[in-house]
Amino acid sequence: MRNIGHSARTGRGRRAAAVVGAGLVLALAACGQGEDPAAEPGDDGGTSADGGDVTIRFAWWGNEDRAAITNEAVDVFEAANPGITVETEYVDFNAYFDRLATTVAAGDAPDVITMGGAYPREYGDRGALLDLGEVSEFLDTSTLDAGALSNGFFSDTQYGVPTGANTYGVVINPAIFEAAGVDLPDQDSWTWEDFADLAAEISANTPDGTYGAADPTSAEVLDLYLNHRSGHGLYLEDGSLNATPDLVADWFTYGSGLMESGATPPATITSELTTQTSPEQSLLGQGLAAMSFGWSNNLGAFRDASGQELILMRVPGDTGENGSAMWQQASQLYTINAQTAHPEAAARLVDFLVNSTEAADLIGTDRGVPSNETIRAHLSEQGLEPTTQVEFDFLSQVSEFIDGDFVIGPTGSTESAGILTRLNQEVLFGQTTPEDAGAAFVTEVTAAIS
Amino acid sequence: MSALQELSGLRREPDRGRRGRQARHGRQSRSAAQKGDNRAAAFFLAPWFIGLFVITAGPLVASLYLSFTDYNLLQDPNWTGWENYARMLTDERLLNSLGVTFSYVLISVPLQLAAALLLAIVLDRGLRALAIYRSVFYLPSLLGGSVAIAILWRQVFGTNGLVNAFLGIFGVEGQGWVSHPDYALGTLMVLNVWTFGAPMVIFLAGLRQIPETYYEAAAIDGASRARRFRSITLPLLTPIIFFNLVLQLIGAFQSFTQAFVVSGGTGGPADSTMFYTLYLYQRGFGAFDMGYASAMAWLLLVIIAGMTAVNFLASKYWVFYGD
Repeated sequence: MRNIGHSARTGRGRRAAAVVGAGLVLALAACGQGEDPAAEPGDDGGTSADGGDVTIRFAWWGNEDRAAITNEAVDVFEAANPGITVETEYVDFNAYFDRLATTVAAGDAPDVITMGGAYPREYGDRGALLDLGEVSEFLDTSTLDAGALSNGFFSDTQYGVPTGANTYGVVINPAIFEAAGVDLPDQDSWTWEDFADLAAEISANTPDGTYGAADPTSAEVLDLYLNHRSGHGLYLEDGSLNATPDLVADWFTYGSGLMESGATPPATITSELTTQTSPEQSLLGQGLAAMSFGWSNNLGAFRDASGQELILMRVPGDTGENGSAMWQQASQLYTINAQTAHPEAAARLVDFLVNSTEAADLIGTDRGVPSNETIRAHLSEQGLEPTTQVEFDFLSQVSEFIDGDFVIGPTGSTESAGILTRLNQEVLFGQTTPEDAGAAFVTEVTAAIS
Repeated sequence: MSALQELSGLRREPDRGRRGRQARHGRQSRSAAQKGDNRAAAFFLAPWFIGLFVITAGPLVASLYLSFTDYNLLQDPNWTGWENYARMLTDERLLNSLGVTFSYVLISVPLQLAAALLLAIVLDRGLRALAIYRSVFYLPSLLGGSVAIAILWRQVFGTNGLVNAFLGIFGVEGQGWVSHPDYALGTLMVLNVWTFGAPMVIFLAGLRQIPETYYEAAAIDGASRARRFRSITLPLLTPIIFFNLVLQLIGAFQSFTQAFVVSGGTGGPADSTMFYTLYLYQRGFGAFDMGYASAMAWLLLVIIAGMTAVNFLASKYWVFYGD
């Protein structure tokens, strides 16, 4: 240290500072250059796809199976579009959005970004997504169902294109029902109480380690439960929170009651499963649960994992006085990064994924039942695999129950899932009461969306 | 820092020699020689300075600014003054994360150092394959912060993990240790203690510095082994203990990977492994609340600086630097 002080006095420091300064200027210049193409996305997008080779990045979440078929589809796209190279990247759902936020903030986000739930709004309203109207020349959205398309439309802008329609239900393992000597429920009449009774009975009649149901607490299920109880889900149309402390407390009482009766597994197992989101690790996938709430497009993965002929049923309580509040929606949307240097290439890729039979042949219903009528017809003509047939049938069945009560959460609502999981753990481990957890949920979600 | 000190340390000796020569050759050649030196020094120091300003100082200043703003990562920040800092006072989850972090640091660091010292003393006895043992015990320090080990940990302490299989031999029915709020933090502490290799190697070096003659003299005077440890080893080792303590404390406050991987990024179950850094990360990158996260980062800096200052002040009373 003393040497440095000395050197500054004798003039060493000035020269050192000059060198450092030059280095800084160089580094800053490098940064500036890196950002340049991103600053003017519209300018070179049109020319680059024609003029030379462009490389775009495409990101999604999911498991290895999804990656395999998606990469195959991308290969077909590249063969058909010789000037475009697509680099693909995927991680599991838990890590996906953390990573996305980091890359978007760093100006290093993928060009084509898969989104879901309230995320398109989180990003779109903050200016991170491309208005797809700007690339309508290359991306035809007129072919897609208006209902599904509306999931990517907000603030008067089409930000996302649905990957396919999806719905929610109870995935059931009939083999466990049979082994327990319990009849399958009647989905046209079963209630939340029936669900609890059935699950408890199955747990009692099967060996230790097999349960009637996996812990049902999730933002989706809570939304349905609240709708069935009060006529409104978590949120109202105006983006405000509808859930009250009492109603949420009732859910926590219900959920912890399931655990206490043995219908669902002990808290440690439920808590362990929250960090393991792949179908293979779930109780259903391991063949250890008779019932579990889930998205219809995951049926195939659950079937593969469990090796059982799993079926889908409508959620309990959906025939009550407040209606079903069921939805059929794009659980995933393809969006394009507002900062992309190659909007044309990105739009062409999205168009290929949702509008081409080649992509449909490979991807099938992995991201939901396609929203393009022509593609659906094409898949049906090809002869559907049994699992896909079950999904198609379930979707058309549920479509009769859709009453428009479902509301997508406002900006900030993506936090609610984490808040719910944590409070649920606190209730299950007996650290807090359902009443306190209900109040905490309302307080925290209100803060998150305000 | 260390690179700089090394450089200046290396230069000291040649400098002296040159000064002698320069005195004989007069002023002119002295400044010419120094010019060449200066240029070389500036050249070699440049990468470090660029690193300091671009990678460390720049973001540091930026985060200080951001800590006074509402910044959602995607749009320009808005100045909000002290609001983020005021919010921290009433943020129960932040207070909880401080509690989790402090108990992790204050329990696992002393245990880790004790384990390191114990092993160092055992290894210092001149075992034949010392190099091998040293490497084996050092290995966890290299791996401990890695994602792979954290994943392994999750499996070992899981419901169907190795620990429960072992307990099963004795007829004890275990549970999911990482998924129970009462034990999850404990498993992370065990992980930290397990990485005792790095301080152990430093202790070993310190033990080697203690002159053998002290022990011989004490043995002749009839001092027992325990007495020799208490009156010779421990006092002469206090500077090393102090060094390790400061280093490990600072490191432990910033632990992130283990909790992130073991809890799947949630800090769960029920926030029991919600390290301060993990909460900071969640606010910044999960909740688009980067202004608040920046304020949290500065609070952490103040806490670590404060703890280190306390450490140095307290060191006057227990660290013995000899003569």
